[in-house]
Amino acid sequence: MPDSDIVLTGKNINKYYVDKGKKMQALKDVSFYLKEGEILGIVGESGSGKSTLLRHISCLEKPDGGTFFYKGVEYTGKSASFAGAFLQMIFQDAQMSFDPRMKMKKAVVEAQKNCSHDKLSGILKAVGLDESLLEKKAGNMSGGQCQRMSIARALCSDARILLCDEITSALDVTTQAQVVALLQQLREKEGLAMIFVSHDIALVSMLCDRIMVMKNGECVEEGQTGKVLGNPQHEYTRELLDNLIELKM
Amino acid sequence: MDTILRINNLFAGYGKECVLNDISFEVEAGKKVCIVGESGSGKSTLLKSIHGFAGVSVTGGSIEIERNILLGIVPQNPGGSFNPIRTYKAQIGEALKSNNIDFKIEEVEKTLQTLGLSDAKRALRARPYELSGGMNQRMAIATTMLLEPGILLCDEVTSALDVKTAGIVVEQLLEINRLRKTTILMVTHHLGIASKMADYIGIMKSGKMLEYGPAKEILDNPQNEYTKNLLKALPRLKVN
Amino acid sequence: MNHKRKKINRIKVTISAVVALLLVLIALMASVIAPNDPYVTNASAIRSAPSAEFLFGTDNLGRCVFSRVLYGARTTIAATFILVAVSFLLGSFVGILSGYYGGVLDEITMRIADIMLAFPQMVVAIAVAGILGGGLSSAMIALGITMWTGFARLARSHTFAIKNCPYVQAARLAGKSGPAIMMSHILPNIIAPLITNALTQIGTTMIGISGLSFLGLGVVPPTAEWGSMINESRAYIQIAPWAVMYPAIATIVTIIVFNYLGDCVMEYRDED
Repeated sequence: MPDSDIVLTGKNINKYYVDKGKKMQALKDVSFYLKEGEILGIVGESGSGKSTLLRHISCLEKPDGGTFFYKGVEYTGKSASFAGAFLQMIFQDAQMSFDPRMKMKKAVVEAQKNCSHDKLSGILKAVGLDESLLEKKAGNMSGGQCQRMSIARALCSDARILLCDEITSALDVTTQAQVVALLQQLREKEGLAMIFVSHDIALVSMLCDRIMVMKNGECVEEGQTGKVLGNPQHEYTRELLDNLIELKM
Repeated sequence: MDTILRINNLFAGYGKECVLNDISFEVEAGKKVCIVGESGSGKSTLLKSIHGFAGVSVTGGSIEIERNILLGIVPQNPGGSFNPIRTYKAQIGEALKSNNIDFKIEEVEKTLQTLGLSDAKRALRARPYELSGGMNQRMAIATTMLLEPGILLCDEVTSALDVKTAGIVVEQLLEINRLRKTTILMVTHHLGIASKMADYIGIMKSGKMLEYGPAKEILDNPQNEYTKNLLKALPRLKVN
Repeated sequence: MNHKRKKINRIKVTISAVVALLLVLIALMASVIAPNDPYVTNASAIRSAPSAEFLFGTDNLGRCVFSRVLYGARTTIAATFILVAVSFLLGSFVGILSGYYGGVLDEITMRIADIMLAFPQMVVAIAVAGILGGGLSSAMIALGITMWTGFARLARSHTFAIKNCPYVQAARLAGKSGPAIMMSHILPNIIAPLITNALTQIGTTMIGISGLSFLGLGVVPPTAEWGSMINESRAYIQIAPWAVMYPAIATIVTIIVFNYLGDCVMEYRDED
């Protein structure tokens, strides 16, 4: 595993929550790595801890144990703005990813003051959005447009890693396909690495190089997508595959 | 086969706003029909106008339902249709009473078991807030089924559930259809679910019915450009 | 249907706002409108009934009640506005900080707020005003001590909800500092409920200030203030009822107008 092209590593991440006096473990000894230009898929049901893991990777929350490395340098416990320099997160709720009172042109380049107009229009073109949308607010845009816009915002920051938290689950099937195609294109053209969290195992199988299956805060299986889904070792993975509702043709 | 539900050139909407635009289709008794559409396509409005919701006004066309047929509707979010702190037993009893049906415990338990709730007694003692989303959804279907409806209208019943639970609920709807010959009319945005359970599929977009026909025909040989796109966009499991 | 109700609400807000503005305007222009000097005593016109010269009559010292009511409006309304504004700023500031950062700061401020809420506002105000001695400023401090907690709680709970919104998290990842996020994302999104609360507080604060003055814990005579005017004149209410009646009517009308404005704005906001 020690590979020179590994960009992101997490080792033995643990997180506890106290809920009504009971101590709950949200993440149990989760370890992972992400190579350059790779898409890692994380699947699991709601409550499996996959979104929690992303929030820890991006330093939005602090773990109770474990360490994170970016290109071999530890960044555990640093601020979110520190992590924001090399990774950006895209959220499930596209509309709420933008301040409802802010125009897009302000929200997109919020902290990247040095983002030139040429660069921004290049990015908008890359994500397939019209520049006129910059004058709008999130409430006047469709879910798909908002989600593209949040990808554009992530690209403005020069981050090389995208963390995608169920970014298509609130979108229509056709819009979902467009957003997924955009991610694939960004990986090919820009060489971005991504962690793609989703409950849709079929979608993950189409997009991701490697896959990680999570259940109750634990990583139960990890490996190449084809291997894991073609020959699942863990019972839970098999269960997920069995219950998949697929198009019957 | 008898036609149990016939919709002729239906125009309906909310207030002055027209959502449904010239919808026509027929449903045969005992069949499972899925109406597929993306958000905003008017599929839920269609269901509401069939059920006769107060907020929906029909401005044109007609909805013909065979006589003496009761319509049962299962909402997307069962949480909204039950009192969270009363036991299911009390609430189901009330629903039956208001429809002049006797509460027979064996009958109720049998229905719950059909829906995969093996420990029916415990489920009846439970209150909605104590159960998971999937359990509540099944209780909602069970309550509706006890009223012995001729047509079961399902509004996105699986979309708030986990993949695993969604699969189970779909299985059980099929089981109900097989055992009781209940006609099922379900609206969903998930073409996969439609392909799994439907005999007939309708594709809706912006208030119009683009295509309606036997499931196999629609899936294998779609005529409409939009249906083709929809089929193409659906993620499929790729193993190698 | 909904649209119609919204329209009615908008009209209600406009009308009550105009009336409230009119009252404020009258208070500001007191020195122009007032026909007589409110502080000049007139031995020849003690307790005279309302007439053309003294519209609302005169009090025990022969001072023009009409002029005193106008000047009293200035005292009461100005004190109320300053007090509500200060509580609003202080409370929102503390509330946003403790909501955003949480932790020890949050624990401490919220416990203080809890303690303040445990006593009825007026009881605390009387006690504090009594300790501080008379005077308008001590009455304001006495009322402000409990009032800021309402704003702090409101700001805290709204901040708490917004803090976990994706757009705030995105801003954090974009490298924005805490204060910058609070200014650009949190404050603009919670200001509306805070302002509504401020409007509803105006009426209560007026009652508070007039009440303290009536008890002799607020404005010191001879300064014109409605509460103290009622207190001064109530001894001879049978002989000169106008000296009590007019400041009382002024108090009631003003409080009703501002409370109604607050309610209308709240209703209007809930409609969205």
